Amino acid sequence: MLRLPKFEVKNPATVEEAVAMMMEIHGEARFLAGGTDLNPNMKHGLFTPERIVALGGIEEMFGVGFDESGNARIGAMVTLAQVEQHPDLRRAFPALCQAAKLVSSPQLRNMGTLGGNVMLDTRCQWYNQTYFWRNALGYCLKKDGSKCHVIEGGSKCVAAASNDTAPALMTLNAELEFATTSGRVRMPLADLWQADGIWNKKIPHTDLLVALHVPKPAAGSRGAYGKLRDRGSIDFPLFGIAVRLDFAADGSISDAALCAVALQARPWPLKKAAELLIGTHPGQASFNDAVEKVAMLAAKQCRPMPNIPGDHEYRHLMVPVYTRRTLHAAAAGEGPVHHI
Amino acid sequence: MAARDQHGSEAPWDQGFRVIGKENRKVDGMAKATGEAIYTDDIQLPGMLHAKMLRSPHAHARILSIDTSKAEALPGVIGVLVGAELPVRYGVIPWTPDETALAVDKVRFIGDEVAAVAALDEDTANAAIRLIEVEYEILESILDAEKALITPEPPIHEDRKRRDNISKHVELEFGDVEAQVSSADIVVEEDYSFHSTTHAAMEPHCAVAVANSDGRLTLWSSTQITHYVHRALARVLQLDPARIRVIQPCLGGGFGGKSDPFSLEFVVAQLAIKTGRPVKMLWTREEVFYAHRGRHPMKMHYRTTAKADGTITGVDAKLLIDGGAYSSFGLVTTYYSGQLLTGPYDFPNYRFDSTRVFTNRPPNGPKRGHGSVQPRFAFEVQLDEIAQRLNIDPIEIRRRNFLGAHTETVNGQRITSNGFLECLQEVEAASDWKARHGKLPHGRGIGVAGSMYISGTNYPVYPNKMPQAGVQLKIDRSGLVTVFTGGNDIGQGSNSMVAYLVAEELGIQPSHIKVIAADTDLCPVDLGAYSSRVTFMVGNAAIDAARKLRHKLVEAVAVAWDVAQKDVRFMDGTVVDLSAAARSMTHVEAFHLAEEMFDTLGSTGAYNTPTLGGDYRGGTIGSAPAYSFTAHVAEVEVDTETGRITVHKVWAAHDCGRALNPMIVRGQIEGSTYMGAAEVVLESHDLNRFGLHAGPSLLDYRIPTAVDTPELAARIIESIDPEGPFGAKEAGEGPLHSTIPAIANAVFDAVGIRLRHLPFTPAKVLAALRAKEEQA
Amino acid sequence: MRVLRLHVNGDCAEVAAPEHWTLLEVLRYKLGLTGSKQGCDKGDCGACTVLIDGVPTLACLSLAATVEGKQITTIEGLVPAHRAAGGEGVDPVQNAFDKTGALQCGFCQPGMILSAKALLAKNPNPSLKEIQESLAGNLCRCTGYTQIYEAVVLAAKGDLA
Ligand SMILES: Cc1cc2nc3c(=O)[nH]c(=O)nc-3n(C[C@H](O)[C@H](O)[C@H](O)COP(=O)(O)OP(=O)(O)OC[C@H]3O[C@@H](n4cnc5c(N)ncnc54)[C@H](O)[C@@H]3O)c2cc1C
Ligand code: SF4
Ligand code: FES
Ligand code: FES
Repeated sequence: MLRLPKFEVKNPATVEEAVAMMMEIHGEARFLAGGTDLNPNMKHGLFTPERIVALGGIEEMFGVGFDESGNARIGAMVTLAQVEQHPDLRRAFPALCQAAKLVSSPQLRNMGTLGGNVMLDTRCQWYNQTYFWRNALGYCLKKDGSKCHVIEGGSKCVAAASNDTAPALMTLNAELEFATTSGRVRMPLADLWQADGIWNKKIPHTDLLVALHVPKPAAGSRGAYGKLRDRGSIDFPLFGIAVRLDFAADGSISDAALCAVALQARPWPLKKAAELLIGTHPGQASFNDAVEKVAMLAAKQCRPMPNIPGDHEYRHLMVPVYTRRTLHAAAAGEGPVHHI
Repeated sequence: MAARDQHGSEAPWDQGFRVIGKENRKVDGMAKATGEAIYTDDIQLPGMLHAKMLRSPHAHARILSIDTSKAEALPGVIGVLVGAELPVRYGVIPWTPDETALAVDKVRFIGDEVAAVAALDEDTANAAIRLIEVEYEILESILDAEKALITPEPPIHEDRKRRDNISKHVELEFGDVEAQVSSADIVVEEDYSFHSTTHAAMEPHCAVAVANSDGRLTLWSSTQITHYVHRALARVLQLDPARIRVIQPCLGGGFGGKSDPFSLEFVVAQLAIKTGRPVKMLWTREEVFYAHRGRHPMKMHYRTTAKADGTITGVDAKLLIDGGAYSSFGLVTTYYSGQLLTGPYDFPNYRFDSTRVFTNRPPNGPKRGHGSVQPRFAFEVQLDEIAQRLNIDPIEIRRRNFLGAHTETVNGQRITSNGFLECLQEVEAASDWKARHGKLPHGRGIGVAGSMYISGTNYPVYPNKMPQAGVQLKIDRSGLVTVFTGGNDIGQGSNSMVAYLVAEELGIQPSHIKVIAADTDLCPVDLGAYSSRVTFMVGNAAIDAARKLRHKLVEAVAVAWDVAQKDVRFMDGTVVDLSAAARSMTHVEAFHLAEEMFDTLGSTGAYNTPTLGGDYRGGTIGSAPAYSFTAHVAEVEVDTETGRITVHKVWAAHDCGRALNPMIVRGQIEGSTYMGAAEVVLESHDLNRFGLHAGPSLLDYRIPTAVDTPELAARIIESIDPEGPFGAKEAGEGPLHSTIPAIANAVFDAVGIRLRHLPFTPAKVLAALRAKEEQA
Repeated sequence: MRVLRLHVNGDCAEVAAPEHWTLLEVLRYKLGLTGSKQGCDKGDCGACTVLIDGVPTLACLSLAATVEGKQITTIEGLVPAHRAAGGEGVDPVQNAFDKTGALQCGFCQPGMILSAKALLAKNPNPSLKEIQESLAGNLCRCTGYTQIYEAVVLAAKGDLA
């Protein structure tokens, strides 16, 4: 078997207990949610914590709720399957539910959590490999080594953010609620990221994501998610793009957001491109023209690298195609955009 | 020895089959459905140690020294093994023994086995592996077949007579291909290539060994060829084979990937001897990718000459075969790459020149459709191109060139039954070909291809005149018949097949048959599950054994009833007297009578091929007692914006002689077709620029999930082979072949591009579409 | 090492296991429930699928120390549950898989059957598309899936001779 490193497992019952258990040992400890990212990574020797703080017993981290004004609170431990199937979430945040539906496989969506998906480690073909393999390679900057094999001579890791729900949550202006040693902190998801593939978040791994807050969508808001991958299941994104379109009373687009993933260390918002859509009318030439421009601009701004497996030049060719298709799907209230 | 008596292809009694041809349940289905079935890794023995392998991180290097002292000193480590302790070479083909259980002086690819540790638990064994210090001198590595061809130095195998990197070269010509060029109405000449793919059976390789204090060794292994493992173990461990028992437990898929003797089998055996304790080694999925023995990548050049009416006049082929680091079955692969193309079409003139080279890549070997899937792809695409250029319907051109039944191929292979025309007919009708080929909207298309494959091979890997398959039957007073067979059931259902045949022949219920298989202590030798030989050979041996037993049973009853033997009829477990309708007995009573008359009762049966093959060097390789035939029509959709090919549906018609159980045959046709389709559009066993496997996992090696698999429509064609068991031929490998070119040809129909280099990635499709636009 | 109280197939099993052991390792090598298979050990194949509180879950990515108190069903649990409910023979889903020839090498099938079981519990009459999507985390290398779909349809119909 592919063995896990030796560690102890703690099963806290509250958020505060979990944070304390994380901080009280000198060695490395890791939070474990669904374990679908952390466990394979530990089996590959990418993490060798002495302690696992398992989050499955913390009631506060479960459940989906809406406040009176319609803002959603999604516990970090809510599974991707629950997100995908939740009728209210599907109505309010179609891009998020579509993205959740396209993550990995049915079993992995039953296990994997939304919190874990946001906190997912970045991915790279030179990194997500066994100890033997990485040793034969001579390791890389992100783990145990000193070179990058994606950008030869590069001094920064550009492993790819590969979490499907992150771009959707970005377009929805989600906020994150963390529990830290100095209390609860709330931050916009957009502020979480930093451009470093080794650790692409601005908070330390010891901060506990308790819940996600997603503001009520504008009336008539639509969204969609598009995902490029080889198979119809299991595979991580080779490129992903989320779209949100808000509409004015006359049917024109009043606000738009686009965000791409599986490019580099952080999800990649396409603000300028989104602005081109504002004021256009789906179903009219103005929208179609804008979509073409957005697709071209996306192709300029999104430059897939040979970090994750697959032909990066082909991935680049698909940026405008998936951008265009996902925009049309969002406008039509359809999606996800996927080859199956 | 000539062929054993031929059993005829009809039911043993004159009232039709009782068991054969029915959708009977499999003998092991329930055990598998309930989790009761025991696979190798399910075996746990008291005091068992866990072994792990140290592998080479270098693609090509000399081993200067190995220091295991730190590993040995680690508490919990019980045994350490290095190559010098097992230096005897082996190879599944006795002429090319170029492997050792662990590397002795050199490593030849990243992942090659270097040392092993047995410890109390897996964690300790893993820790100890990391403590072994190996000093390497790194040699230039050769990762590319073309480079291997022109780079004699450094030879990957140094101690062969020839000092180069050529593993095998075969050049054979039948007729005169050059002479056809000037007289041909059309000459099509193109390059093709087939990439590397692997088996990816769901069960990783595993072996468990026990060395008893009386000097007897037992090995349980996830092998598909128990007999060759048995021989190889005796050779490498230098033990009396009579004191070695090899057992294949339930096997979680093989597809050719468990046909070679593997390092882990020798290692657990030797460690068990060394430590006096049971030892298990289970390979990780990554290690299975290194063990590989998958489909040989081939660069192929074909030139076909034909007349204006589509008649083929000559085929000329030149193939470069990437063998990877070891010989494995490579000698056979090299022959198969040429020898198996000479049907279902008549080639009046044929030449092939195949060269297999060594490279520092995981060794290639036999994968479902060994050696012949790649040439079949190239040729069927070329044939499609000829049809297109001559404006002949692609099905029609295949009909026109039909080889026929009961004939001989240009290279001297005897063809018996041949249902290829019926296969074509079937897929043509089922796919509504005439109304749809060339007529679907741009982006949609259908394509056809045909193929043939061996049903067993005349060539046992070590020359001997003993039977290729043997079966033994034992009857019990309870009415149970136990069948002992060396045949390996690897999921294809061969144990069930044997049970059906014996039940049919004896006129008893399949539920009264128990099959004990693939245990060298208990079962007569069979050469194993490869070359699609099991149904044909073990099946014939089973009928032979059962028929001999039946004669005795009938005789005993006839004497007891005082009737003629022809009046005694066994049927579904009841024996009836045809001359006095009211009289009957159970088969159990008949067994008792027979035991009274003949003493303890059993029987043996065997099969050997008749003398086959052309009278030239290599003429027996690829000559089979019968050939199966297949035709596929594939329907694809090409997204011209993304380049993605979606295979929507594949119709597969396969001539398996007779379907002993149509349900199982369908499963083989569907499984083969699925696997072939995946090789076209998804799977690729790549190395990266460092010679490391690009993605040795089931995440990065993308085998299709349920949502990626085309709709599969399997059709069975029964040509009733005169020599097959009740007329049966193979069904497990043939139906893979033509899937691949059918898809390629469908892509042409859909968007007008000829793809000749596998795999058909979306990027390649887009590039081809663009090139076509530019041309227009 | 911790003594875990695992509820497996209706029994409460007390088992001592190191805390870094996965549920799959504990099931197979501590409890001897070898029906759950391992094909990749990292989430890529589905061979290790078990039901946790009725939900298909990968045992190779679950720590045994995190599933105490949950109801774990492995392939070995189906026949006893079926008999306890007054049934004869095997569970109808198992029976259907046997009947349609879906079991070739059988290695993927314990996981496949449990995924199918969970689907049918939720959706007694699934469409082909729903069947395919529900089984899309269970790789099978033998069958091309077709006879597996037939088995699920047959089990849904309950029409088993
Ligand atoms: C075969 C396979 C295919 C996959 N395909 C996809 C895919 O297509 N798309 C995709 O997006 N993902 C994919 N994944 C990854 C993974 O399944 C999902 O991203 C999942 O959502 C991760 O959630 P989890 O709860 O399992 O995370 P875990 O593995 O439990 O945790 C992931 C990381 O986040 C940290 N973490 C978890 N929860 C918290 C928290 N509340 N607060 C702070 N830190 C936390 C952990 O410490 C760990 O570092 C795949 C995984 C596998 C094995
Ligand atoms: S981008 Fe990839 S190769 Fe480069 S440092 Fe990061 S993980 Fe390593
Ligand atoms: S063994 Fe768990 S998913 Fe493969
Ligand atoms: S039956 Fe062999 S893997 Fe599915």
